[in-house]
Amino acid sequence: MVLSFFRGGDRGLDHVVTRSVAMVTDARHSFDLACTALMSGADPASIADDVRETDLRINANEQRLRGELAVHITVHGPNDIGEVIGLILLLKKIERVGDHAKNILDLAESGVSFAAEPDIDELLEERRVVSGFFTEASEILAEHDGAPVSFRERVDSMVSQIQSRIDGYMTSEQPGHQVVPRAVYHRYLKRIVANLNSAVLAATEPVRVADNSD
Amino acid sequence: MAAGRMPTNFPDVARPLGGPDSRMPTGARATLVVGLIYLFLVGVSSLEAGIKIMGADTQERLFSAVSNPIAGLCVGILGTVLVQSSSASTSVIVGLVASGALGVDQAVPMIMGANIGTTVTNTLVSLGHVRQSAEFRRAFAAATVHDFFNVLAVLILLPVELIFRPISGIAKWVSELLVGSGGTEWKSPVKKWVKEPVGWLKDLWDQLGASGNVKGALMVGTGLIIILLALALVTKNMRALVADRIERSLNAILGKAGGLVALVVGMLVTIAVQSSSITTSILIPLSAAGVLTLRNAYPVTLGANVGTTVTALLAALAASSPDALTVALTHTTFNVAGILLLYVLPFAREVPVSAATLMADLAVRRRVLAVCYVVVLFIVAPLLGVAILR
Repeated sequence: MVLSFFRGGDRGLDHVVTRSVAMVTDARHSFDLACTALMSGADPASIADDVRETDLRINANEQRLRGELAVHITVHGPNDIGEVIGLILLLKKIERVGDHAKNILDLAESGVSFAAEPDIDELLEERRVVSGFFTEASEILAEHDGAPVSFRERVDSMVSQIQSRIDGYMTSEQPGHQVVPRAVYHRYLKRIVANLNSAVLAATEPVRVADNSD
Repeated sequence: MAAGRMPTNFPDVARPLGGPDSRMPTGARATLVVGLIYLFLVGVSSLEAGIKIMGADTQERLFSAVSNPIAGLCVGILGTVLVQSSSASTSVIVGLVASGALGVDQAVPMIMGANIGTTVTNTLVSLGHVRQSAEFRRAFAAATVHDFFNVLAVLILLPVELIFRPISGIAKWVSELLVGSGGTEWKSPVKKWVKEPVGWLKDLWDQLGASGNVKGALMVGTGLIIILLALALVTKNMRALVADRIERSLNAILGKAGGLVALVVGMLVTIAVQSSSITTSILIPLSAAGVLTLRNAYPVTLGANVGTTVTALLAALAASSPDALTVALTHTTFNVAGILLLYVLPFAREVPVSAATLMADLAVRRRVLAVCYVVVLFIVAPLLGVAILR
C-alpha cells in the first residue's frame, strides 16, 4: 500500500472509470443469472447466493468509489467537478441496475417461472438484447470518444417497447397469475434499461453543456 | 482523448491559475521546484548572514526573551501560527542557530512550539464545517487529535528534555556522527552553492547605503521573505507534481486500520509537498464526509509530523554550524519519540483520540467553545506565556 505512492499509474478518475466498468460487468452477471432463474426452470436457490454476493460486491464498490471520488476532489480541487458529478451519478445508476437484477431473482424465488410459458422465446430474445446493452454500456464507458447516439436510440426504443408491454398487461383480460408476474418483471426490466441509459448519459454528459457558440 | 477518460464540460479557462491541474509540463515543474529549493536555501543562508552582521549586543537583546524554555515554546507556537507553516518556522530557527544567535537549548522548546503551532491550520479548516453538526464533530475531532497529540508530547517530553536532555542528546550524537562536533564550522557543500547569491544580496544592501544593524536586519528580512515565498511555491508546485500519488496513497488507506501504513503515507506525502499543513488539512474534509475514520486519520497526522522535519534538515544543509543540524535533528527525534510514547503504546494511543472525541462533542454542543479553543491554545496562551515569562 505504501508503494502506491511511488508507482506510476492511472489518474484517480481513470481508476474509478475502470472500476465502474467492472461494476457493469458484475451487474450483467447478476441480471443474466436472475433471468436464468426465471426463464430456464433452474432452482433459484442454486443461483441466489451468487446474485446476492455480486450485488453486495456492487454496493461495496459503489461505496468505496464514492470515497475515492471524495479523495479526488479533496486533493485536486474543483478542476474535475464535472467528471466527478458524472461518476457519482454513474455509480448510483449501476448500483440500481444491480438492485433490479436482485428484484428479478426475488420474483423467481417467490415461485414465478416463465420456462414453460408459450412466450418464452420472446422473453429470452428480450433478455438477450438487454444483456447486450450491458456490454455496449461497458464499452462506451471504457472507450467512449463521442456521443453514443445509436445506443441511446436503441435503448429508448427498447424502453418504449417494454412500456407498451406493461400497458398491455394492465388492460389484459388474461388471468392475474399470468399478467402480474410479467408486468412486474417488465417493470424491473424497464428500470434496468433506463438506468443503463442514464449511466451512459451521466458518463458522457454529466452536466448540461452550456456552449456560448450555440 | 485517452481511452477510459470522460470528457469534461468545463473549459480550461475555468481552471484556477497555477492550480494542481494547470498545464505546466512535469519536467519544467520539477526543474522549477529544484530552483525554488535552491532559493529557499539562499533564504536560510541570508538569514544566518544577516544575524551574524548584527552585533552580539543586538542578538542578545533580540533573543533574551526566549531564554525561558516555556517562553521559547510560546514563541515557537506564535511564530508558526503567524506563518501557518512549521517548515518555515523551524527553518528560521535553524538559521538562527546557525548564526549563533540562538543556542540549541533555547531552540529546542521553540521547535516543540512549532509542532503545536502547525496544527492551527487544519483546526481552522475544520471550523469550515461548523454548520453541519455531524460533519463538524468528525472534522473537529480529526483536527484536534493532532493538537492533543502534539500538546501531550510536549507536556511529557519538554520536562524530560529540560532535565535529562535525551532528545537533543540523541540529535547531537547523530549530528556529530554526520558532520563533527558543535564548536567547529563544517564545510557543507550546499553552503558553497548558496554563498554567491547571498554575497549579491550583501552587495545590494551595501550599494543602497545600509550598514551595521540596518544591513543585518535587511538581510534577515530578505531571508525571511525568500524562505516563506520559496516554501509556499515549493509546496504549491510539489502538490501539483504529486497530486495523483497523494490520491493513490490516500485511497490505499481508506477504510483500513493499518496504522503503520497510514503513518508512512502521511510522512511520504508531507516530505513530497514539504508541508504538514497540506497533509493534515486534506484529511479534514475526508473525515467530515465520513470517508476517513478518526482512527485512520490519526496516524497520517503523526507521519506528517515526522515528514515536515525534512524541511529543517534541508535548511541545515545551508548552515555553517553543526548545531543547526542538531536542532533540525531534534525536531525529528522529538516527533519520533512522541510517536513511540503516544502511539506505539496501545493504552496511550487512545488518549489523544478520546480527548479529541470529547472536545468535538463539546464543540458541537457549544460552537463558541471551538472558537475559544483555537484562540486560547494558539494565540492567548502563548501570548500570555511570552508576556509573563520573558
